[in-house]
Amino acid sequence: MTTTALEHELKEMIIETLELEDVTPADIDPDEPLFVEGLGLDSIDALELGLALQKRYGITLESDAESSRQHFANLRSLAALVEARRVS
Amino acid sequence: MTPASSNPNHWSRIRESGSAAGVRTMVWIRRHLGRLPFQFMLTLVIGYFYVAHGLHRRASHTYLVRLWRHLHGAPPKRLTWLSLRHFRSFGQSLMDKIDAWSGIPPRVEFAEGARQRFLDAVSSGRGGVMFVSHVGNMEICTAMSDMREDFRATLLMHTRNAQQFDAVLARSTHRENPPEIIEVSEITPSTAMQLGQRIAEGGFVVIAADRVPISDSGRARTLSFLGHPARFPEGPFWLASLLRCPVYTIGCFRHRDGYRVEFDTFDDTQRLGRRQRDAWIGDAMQRYVAWLTRQCANTPLQWFNFFPFWLDCADAQPEATDHNATTTATTTATTTATTTATATQADDAPRD
Repeated sequence: MTTTALEHELKEMIIETLELEDVTPADIDPDEPLFVEGLGLDSIDALELGLALQKRYGITLESDAESSRQHFANLRSLAALVEARRVS
Repeated sequence: MTPASSNPNHWSRIRESGSAAGVRTMVWIRRHLGRLPFQFMLTLVIGYFYVAHGLHRRASHTYLVRLWRHLHGAPPKRLTWLSLRHFRSFGQSLMDKIDAWSGIPPRVEFAEGARQRFLDAVSSGRGGVMFVSHVGNMEICTAMSDMREDFRATLLMHTRNAQQFDAVLARSTHRENPPEIIEVSEITPSTAMQLGQRIAEGGFVVIAADRVPISDSGRARTLSFLGHPARFPEGPFWLASLLRCPVYTIGCFRHRDGYRVEFDTFDDTQRLGRRQRDAWIGDAMQRYVAWLTRQCANTPLQWFNFFPFWLDCADAQPEATDHNATTTATTTATTTATTTATATQADDAPRD
């Protein structure tokens, strides 16, 4: 699968928000887990990413740990979430 | 170090039992028979509690001795009497809590300059995080949302105990415009996003930062409080730093017949860089504990953490405690000072 424009945008947002200095958008595999394995992000990074999404796209989620985990599994699921919920 | 999850005396495990009926009865008495019969009943309940619940009594004694040593260099002379007054003050706070949730406006006066600071914070439109504690009665703070339409508060509460007392109160009382309550067992990205949204709308997120949630036992730091080591949660400070907004402290303390509200600017995390966060959190936690200490010094009997607060008190060690019903009977304790005085015996020990 190819990377969509939105996925690219999200990659840049992740790198910028989390100040991942040695990472380029090409390094982020859309299907790899973002957390623990893959990029190795932690739970605080997840909160920060959530807030960045909220700020940029006006997205909120119902407070449910399981759905959070699914949406934040990898870049592809994150892009699907933004696509479905974005306000702006 | 004692992981909270294995400690039967962790505040979230000191559970209530059968309290729903008790709370409803007390609300009924308050509403239909008035303040005096209610106070009479409450005194009985509190007296029973003091005698029957050793864990709470010991927690009160430990706190009072440590505070007195800290303030006066010596333990209080009449500890039992003082501790009974401590329990009574707690009972009073329950009554006030019920009043607040009933929509009976509390008599509130602001500390010097606090009203202006509060109005400035609300009218800035930037929203913010408000740190609270279990000193005093934060229900009164939230009752201020009845007084000012543009003050919107969202309380972040720990699920484990939040449901009972407040759910009961919400059903038993009539309040038109209660603050929003978000109950969580852990802070997930979705919680953060909701809170971010509230702040973006100019609202305020109210968080108590003096209890470590069970799921967060890893994210806590040990700080010296009244000269002894105690665990404090990092979570509220992480949130405050991530939300990039003004941060305040607010406290409501019983004062004569009403309440005195203190409201202060704590910090502003708008421009706090990612790399400065860890240092900020350490510093902010120290300042929070200093603030908490001042609240205790100002209103010694309004400390409502009736559980083994310190790491170095006997009840804090799981192996030192008795796993039978006597240590587990009791009250609810939530992130927003909701503890109930319904004196009921627990029928079994917590199992999870």
